[in-house]
Amino acid sequence: MTNAIEVKNLTKYYGKFLAVDKINFTVEKGEIFGFLGPNGAGKSTTQRMLTSLLTPSEGQIRVLGHDYAHDAYPAKGQIGLVPEESNVYTELTAWDNLMFTGRLYRMSKEDRNARAEELLKIFGLWEKKDVKAENFSKGMRRRLSIAMAIIHKPALLFLDEPTPGLDAQSARTIQKIIRQLSTEGTTVFITTHQIEEANQLCDRVAIINQGKIAVIDTPEKLKQTFQQVQSVEIAFSENQEGLKQKLTALPEVSSVIKVGDKWRLYNDSPPALLPHLVKFAEEENLGILSLNTLAPSLEDVFLQITGQEVGTMQPAPASPNKKRRKGGKR
Amino acid sequence: MSKMTSRISDELAQAWTVTLKDIKVYYLRPGMIMFGFLMPFFMFFSFSVRREMAAGEGMARLLALTIFFTAAAAGPFIIPTERRMGTYDRLLAAPMSLMTLLLGKIAVGAFFAIVVASVASVIGILFLNATVAQPGLMILGIIMGAFTFSAMGLIFGSIPTNNPGDVQMPSTLIRWVLLFISGVFIPLSQMSPVARAISYISPLTYAQDLMNHAVLGMGELNLWLDIIVLFLSGILFLLPSIKLHKRGRVLGY
Repeated sequence: MTNAIEVKNLTKYYGKFLAVDKINFTVEKGEIFGFLGPNGAGKSTTQRMLTSLLTPSEGQIRVLGHDYAHDAYPAKGQIGLVPEESNVYTELTAWDNLMFTGRLYRMSKEDRNARAEELLKIFGLWEKKDVKAENFSKGMRRRLSIAMAIIHKPALLFLDEPTPGLDAQSARTIQKIIRQLSTEGTTVFITTHQIEEANQLCDRVAIINQGKIAVIDTPEKLKQTFQQVQSVEIAFSENQEGLKQKLTALPEVSSVIKVGDKWRLYNDSPPALLPHLVKFAEEENLGILSLNTLAPSLEDVFLQITGQEVGTMQPAPASPNKKRRKGGKR
Repeated sequence: MSKMTSRISDELAQAWTVTLKDIKVYYLRPGMIMFGFLMPFFMFFSFSVRREMAAGEGMARLLALTIFFTAAAAGPFIIPTERRMGTYDRLLAAPMSLMTLLLGKIAVGAFFAIVVASVASVIGILFLNATVAQPGLMILGIIMGAFTFSAMGLIFGSIPTNNPGDVQMPSTLIRWVLLFISGVFIPLSQMSPVARAISYISPLTYAQDLMNHAVLGMGELNLWLDIIVLFLSGILFLLPSIKLHKRGRVLGY
């Protein structure tokens, strides 16, 4: 068996609403697999079905060789789950949270104690082990939540939006741990809005949109497929009124967006655009402060696939965007 | 150890883990203290004021009332709270059967009720000067009632919702109705034939009668009937909880 996850024709209806529409994919053992999609695309619904928290309307799920329709029990012991909201018991200390999870997964006392100490030290929580989680910051709770999910050394770890809203240090620690787990052979399934994080972490990504998987591939291959979203980024010495319209009117420019103090001009052949840009700057008496050609980013690919206009993507809200509908999350 | 024995041993240990965790996390929460501890005592004293009642009768009534109200308070409070906090997913995703999880949750309410009933027993013996005709039967009745009514409370807790308020109010209302039709405030012997017939559908009727047997040494119904009905009710109450959990898994709770 080389696949940690095999999904065939997986479908989920909430009443008449089709949340996930006959999706098929596999995740290889040891892989970091990113599951990307806009809000309401069906990411969390899919993940909840893969973790046996939600019953599919149709389709087949095999996790670590076990068919969920037959019996999810053998797989559950080898899975770790980190939901979007850090679900730690705030009334318990960090240590008690880990002990509880260890007992739930039937670890021996020696193993529990040793692993809890190891994880609390890795996650920088050892000094706070006897502090109740209600006194933890969001980042600390997130780290504790992940520690609880991996205390039993799962073969497969599900992470739902692991880092949004965290400080840079906590996010970096978590990304480092994810890479480490993958190196040790753990398969990691990440559901995320953070395109750049997926680009940095994932071996392969799937982009789901309106309940259907639009594409699955490695981040680099996806970027190569979407060469039409290459761009030139330019910073002028000053900003003129109506500059965006003038730039958009340049030959071979498909769209223009403002990125901080720079302008990003999308086109499928940056070298052909450069002479036009230099000429334009001369004619308009604009000094060029910087000029770069950019390959398509994974975010560009994502926006192309999901049909959102390039440059319009907004950062995902911390969590309220995933309020449960009828209790369920899409 | 065979695979089956090992699995049963694991599941029992997991149920106990869930119970211990809930005891630590929830017993001192205001919702539990209000609905599970204070309310039955308030109700008892408000219905007992200015009513002539023998000490033993008062104690049997207090015991039935506290076991019933306290045991059934845990499920409607704890499970929706855990669903709202996302911690229930941790339990549902863990390698244990749904039955194990439910047993763990039932034990939480049952132990809480046993503790509160113990307080009620002390009050009855020390302050009401009651004597207990059959202490062993009283302990059995407390334990059986606690588990049965905790299983009843679990039905409400299993309703797919993230909001404790959605189930606490209806569950409290239904418990009130059962109190009035079950011979707790009006003894079975004083009920009209119609009211008495209705009271037979409530398991609380049998718990109250069992307590009457234990404390007063006599009841209106056959003692064995009380025990069998309580036992079977506890098992039957699991069925809707299982069904509601499965429904919740379809809806996404």
